[in-house]
Formats: sequence, structure tokens, C-alpha cells
Amino acid sequence: MNLPEELRYSAEHEWVAVEGVRARIGITDFAQDQLGDVVYVELPTVGANVLAHASCAEVESTKSVSEIFAPVSGTVVEVNDALGDAPEQVNGDPYGAGWIFVVEMADAAEVDALLDAAAYRALVEG
Amino acid sequence: MTGGWVLVDDLDARPGSPLDAAGQMAADLAMLDTVAAGGPPSLRIYQWSPPALSLGRFQPDDDVDHAACAARGVEVVRRPTGGRALLHGGDVTYAAAFPQPPGDTGRVDAIYEWLAGGLIAGLALLGVEAAVARNEGPAGPVCFAGQQGADLRVGERKLCGSAQVRRGGAVLQHGSVLLARLPFDELDLVHARPGDLPIDEARARLRAATVTLEELGAPVQPRRVAEALVEGCSRALDLQFTSRVVSSGT
Repeated sequence: MNLPEELRYSAEHEWVAVEGVRARIGITDFAQDQLGDVVYVELPTVGANVLAHASCAEVESTKSVSEIFAPVSGTVVEVNDALGDAPEQVNGDPYGAGWIFVVEMADAAEVDALLDAAAYRALVEG
Repeated sequence: MTGGWVLVDDLDARPGSPLDAAGQMAADLAMLDTVAAGGPPSLRIYQWSPPALSLGRFQPDDDVDHAACAARGVEVVRRPTGGRALLHGGDVTYAAAFPQPPGDTGRVDAIYEWLAGGLIAGLALLGVEAAVARNEGPAGPVCFAGQQGADLRVGERKLCGSAQVRRGGAVLQHGSVLLARLPFDELDLVHARPGDLPIDEARARLRAATVTLEELGAPVQPRRVAEALVEGCSRALDLQFTSRVVSSGT
């Protein structure tokens, strides 16, 4: 399981890359492996306000629909429209081309409450 | 995950009951929400009357020929689960809601495989030897025209299609076991797309790709099929049903 050390993680299986006041967000390698082949991503709307740990997007894989949660609160400022034509990027490159959305954080301190790679690994490996 | 299941027996809901197509989906979602809120897992068995065309959660609405559906008295409803259009009316449908298991046992394909064990055991009680279908990847607008690892086949022909939704740590999986064919099929109810096969050829392929219990010479009485599926899940998955209820028609 690939868990980059520089990222933070939520218990709902999202990753966060902090870029100043912005947070780039996707689902973890563990999550994409659980889902199987992703065929569709319902992206959040740019400009939407999201709350930490609330559902804000959905992903479909092998006839299964799963929620994507916002790891931090804020305003959606960017979404990965490329996933419309290539949702499989979520599987193939979950921490790179498979990113899903970017949030301008309302409270950057929320990142501190997220898990580091070791804690997330412990969570998913039980 | 095996103890304390509720069996929701909605098989005898008939026209005039609160469980129209939208009601059926609401009842399934209520089961999911109950589990997500810490309630017991449940297995629901039901049929659709009048017939209904259910669409996958993200399937484009313009796949559907609404005029054709109305002309045949077919309701159109959107499922909370993934996948493509599925015609109900000649089937028995199951819905199972339970906590998402931890680790690898919680994988989408692992859950399909787990529940398939119960369904296959149930179908065996009807003299039908079913197996998990091969994954052919995403299909066109009609569910039964393609096979995925979520489905069950007899020989090369699809008998049961299933789909999932996951929410709040809970899983809802529902699926349809074909009893007998209706006088029309999905191809009469969805719009043809550019490049599609001529409808007669497409229909021949759909029929060749699917099979019903009737065509297999197996029992088709809904009550008998339902009892076999429940018994199969009980035996193969060790599900312990501690109560049996009828949906109130949410």
C-alpha cells in the first residue's frame, strides 16, 4: 500500500496535500483498491462550501457507489475535470493525476487533526 | 456480520401497496440508513408491480425512452446503486444491508463474492448451478447486456445482476434474479444510440446473454424462489434471522 509520508489522511480514506491555504484532495491507494475499477466520479461543484467529514462527492466502481468526504472545511476552488474522460486515473495514480478536488481551507488547523501516514496505515491494517 | 439479521418479507406487496418503484428504493435506502445508524443488518425480498425500469445512480436520464415506458405502464426509478438500466417485473429482487466489513473483506468485489455464496446456495436448492460472472468491464445502457463480477451466470448466460452503494460505514447490495421474460425488454425502453446494432440483432444478443429460471426448467413461483434464496443465505453465509417483518412502505 502506497502512503506518501508528506500527505495527511482522513479516517474516511481521503488524502490531503497542503498547498498554502489550499488542500488538494483525493482518495487513498487503500480506498481505490477497495473500490476496484472506478468508472465515474461525481465531482463537487466549484464554489460549493464543504464541511469536514461530510460527504461532498461520489465515485462509482463495479456497479458500486461510494461517498467521498471532505477531510477539511472550506470552499471548493478546483475540481479535476479530466476524471470525466479518464476516471481510471483514480486507480492508476491516486496521489497524482487521480486527485479529485481542491479546497480553500476555512481553518488550516483542521489539517492538524488528520492522520499522518503511520497512523493511517495503523488504521487500515488494524 | 452473521448474527441478528432482520428478514423483511415484502414479496406479497401488490398493486395499490405503498411500495411503488420509488417506494421500493426508499425501503432499500431506509435499510442502509438503519445499519449506518447502528441498527441491525437486514435482508429484504420483493417484487415490482407494475413493472419498473431502474437506472443506475449516475446513468444519464436521456438513456430512457420515457414515452415508451409510459405506453407500457412501466415506472422509471433511479437506484442509489451503480450499474445500468434494469427492467423489473419478471424477477425476484433481494436487498441486503449490513456494516461494511473491515480490511480486505470490505472490498467491493469481496462483498459481491460473499453474498454470491448465499445466492448460489439458494439457486442450488432450485436445481440451478450458478457461478460468479466474469468481469467484462463497463457495459452499455442495459444492465443485463453485459457481465461483471457482481453478477451470476448459468453457463455463459446471466441470471442475476447486482449492485451496491456504501454510505456511513454500511453497505446496501441489491440484485435481481430473472424468473421469466416479460412481453418486452429493456431495449424497448431505452433510446438507441448512434452505432448501436439494429434492434432485432441487439435483442437477439440480449436474449442470448441472459437466461431465466423458467428457461432453465427451474421453479419460478416467487415465494419458492424467495424462500430458497433466504435459505441459501442462511446456510452458506450463516445468517441468523432473529425477526421477520413486512416493510411498512416508507
